[in-house]
Amino acid sequence: MTIRSLLSTASVAVLLATASVSAQAQIALGHLADYSGGTSDVGTPYGQGVADTFAWINKNGGIGGKQVNLDTNDYGYQVPRAIALYKKWSGADKVAGIMGWGTADTEALTGFLAQDKIPDISGSYSAALTDPTGAGGKAKPAPYNFFYGPSYSDALRAELTWAAEDWKAKGKTGKPKFVHMGANHPYPNAPKAAGEAIAVELGFEVLPPLVFALAPGDYSAQCLSLKSAGANYAYLGNTAASNISVMKACKSAGVDIQFMSNVWGMDENAAKAAGDAADGVIFPLRTAVSWGGNAPGMKTVMEISKISDPTGKIYRPVHYVAAVCTSLYMKEAIEWAAKNGGAIGENVAKGFYQKKDWVPTGMEGVCNPSTWTDKDHRPTTKVDLYRSKVSGATDGDLNDLMAKGTIKLEKVKTVDLPRKPEWHGW
Amino acid sequence: MATPSLIPAGDYRTTYAADTTIFPTKASRNAAILGIVAICFAPLLFSEYWLSVLIQIGIYGIAALGLNILVGFTGQISIGHAAFFLLGAFTSAYISNKFPVPVFFSIPLAGIVTAIIGLIFGLPAARLKGLYLVIATLAAQYILLDFFSRAEWFSGGSVPAMANPFSIFGYTLRGDRQYFYVVLAYLVVSYLLVTNLMRSRDGRALVAIRDHYLSAEIMGINLTKYRTLSFGLAAFFAGIAGALYAHYQLVVSNEGFGIERSILFLAMVIIGGTGSIMGTLMGTAFVVLLPESMEWIAAEMKGGAIDRALQLNNNITFLREIAIGLIIIAFLIFEPDGLAHRWRQIKTYWKLYPFSH
Repeated sequence: MTIRSLLSTASVAVLLATASVSAQAQIALGHLADYSGGTSDVGTPYGQGVADTFAWINKNGGIGGKQVNLDTNDYGYQVPRAIALYKKWSGADKVAGIMGWGTADTEALTGFLAQDKIPDISGSYSAALTDPTGAGGKAKPAPYNFFYGPSYSDALRAELTWAAEDWKAKGKTGKPKFVHMGANHPYPNAPKAAGEAIAVELGFEVLPPLVFALAPGDYSAQCLSLKSAGANYAYLGNTAASNISVMKACKSAGVDIQFMSNVWGMDENAAKAAGDAADGVIFPLRTAVSWGGNAPGMKTVMEISKISDPTGKIYRPVHYVAAVCTSLYMKEAIEWAAKNGGAIGENVAKGFYQKKDWVPTGMEGVCNPSTWTDKDHRPTTKVDLYRSKVSGATDGDLNDLMAKGTIKLEKVKTVDLPRKPEWHGW
Repeated sequence: MATPSLIPAGDYRTTYAADTTIFPTKASRNAAILGIVAICFAPLLFSEYWLSVLIQIGIYGIAALGLNILVGFTGQISIGHAAFFLLGAFTSAYISNKFPVPVFFSIPLAGIVTAIIGLIFGLPAARLKGLYLVIATLAAQYILLDFFSRAEWFSGGSVPAMANPFSIFGYTLRGDRQYFYVVLAYLVVSYLLVTNLMRSRDGRALVAIRDHYLSAEIMGINLTKYRTLSFGLAAFFAGIAGALYAHYQLVVSNEGFGIERSILFLAMVIIGGTGSIMGTLMGTAFVVLLPESMEWIAAEMKGGAIDRALQLNNNITFLREIAIGLIIIAFLIFEPDGLAHRWRQIKTYWKLYPFSH
């Protein structure tokens, strides 16, 4: 063995030992992003939205004069990696809050968050995260979990309410058949029980659920099942890329069915990729307008978008806009905390309770008014249902397609669900 | 391949005890004991991050040790090791949640349950070899993972299962600093056990099967028994490691333990050196540290000149995955005998310094 090979061994060791840089007196936030896992199709624009918003906040003086140190990590939609990151964030340099993501990891963290008093505003809208005290008896207490938008269960309840009316409006008789579709995973399963319960109430015949994976694939078999069972309304619980596979397969199998998707199940990119197969899909929109919409707050969103796209030419899907809203709620909660005892997790969580029908400053007309209380973490029970309209070939730039109206997001109905106590937590 | 049997000239051993000693010299034994004592101070000195890395090395090191019994010492192969790891994790969580069994006892119990299941899945190994055995163990991987995603009574189905923190007789350990010692204790005991096993009649039988199964059978070694036993042992250590992991994370989810994790376990064994007990730990350390170091490099690169020139942005994470693959391939080409071999070379070099060559 020569000196040289020894040196090279040593240099690798030195490289391995390079420690990460620690943060100074800043506000630390954890950010779980999925750029490479099962939900990366929608996780990427959402994660980008969160990163851009906090970069924009820092550019404009931070929060109360302090810079935000957002620790963005791609955890690949895997619970163990989320837990490992959480350990880091709840250790010696405890973060003031977490920008979370998936249902499985958020639900796994719920108990730890409560113990360590760290608020987590997640990308999961599972209804199990909405009961801070656990008094409803349907879910475990989740005092430090927040999210922006209607819960998955409420969104599905609204969709089924619309479906029941749609069935009558079309003059069809008999019982419409409803089927829940999605992967065997906490996220698509989250609204299953709630959806099937209200479907029965509304006079649907509920078919056995169909399973399809979170990743895109060949789902012809599922479509043939839909056809042979004669399903009329199907809920797609996965994210956009995977749902597209189903819509495309069903289109070619000639299945006549009305698809309704989860809030993460449809967006402009998905409509472009699916083409006419995505025509007519019903989905909930979390923000009052989508990219480029006519609202005073859209100016702020455009400015934030310039952080990662100085040309201002990239079209941002609905998930990006939702991420901006979510991040700004966290920002204002931290702002309140900084003025009322310091920006630590416990105060930040209280910061979420300070306003009623809350819209972040500068986001008027974009973010829907939200209210969190210490008894109820359902920010809203109003669900805006949209239909994707695809009228022609979807090749070319998304900006053009949207401008020309080849792809349109068309408002169908706003369902204002009652805040029933028996619907709390599931 | 490790070649401890090549004894240098002038090194005479006159008793069986001297021949089978674990440490060839007093100095090496003292160094090992000193090393363990020194690492006991790690929780006082290291940051939480480094502790979590050490704990991971410890836990995966136990699992990889089990796989090395199978791959390195018996010459069998398994690409279902991650499933047994997960089985141990779920079993320990289940036992300590459902029955009034403290976690202290549920960990070895999980090891035993996993060993029994491992023996069952090891049965085909009595008849299958090579590629066919690979496929048979692949079946174990898929059957077990499918079981976990459906058996809601046992694993919680698709919802991650919760595991209790480690406790003995009412005293509960909290945090990495305390849990470190649990992992360290299991690690030392496991490595001692396996080192001793390899000095025994049973251990030598396993090695004989690896080196030439036909000769071994002629010499009276029961192939079926030892091949199946080897699977059971591998599963036992996977189960122990899984249980340790469950009570470390406090959450058990069946994500991240697919075939790729099984292959990572194999990578630990191959990089460390098949058939080398010390190499297993080195290989594990390498495989655990590799993605971590890539993470640091990616973090350093973020926003830097290379990032901007190539417009990597979020794709930096993919760069990490690519680099890991490349390094493993490079390792197999340039260091096929594993880290244990390299370590021996470094030792030899310094032994004669400065008079080598």
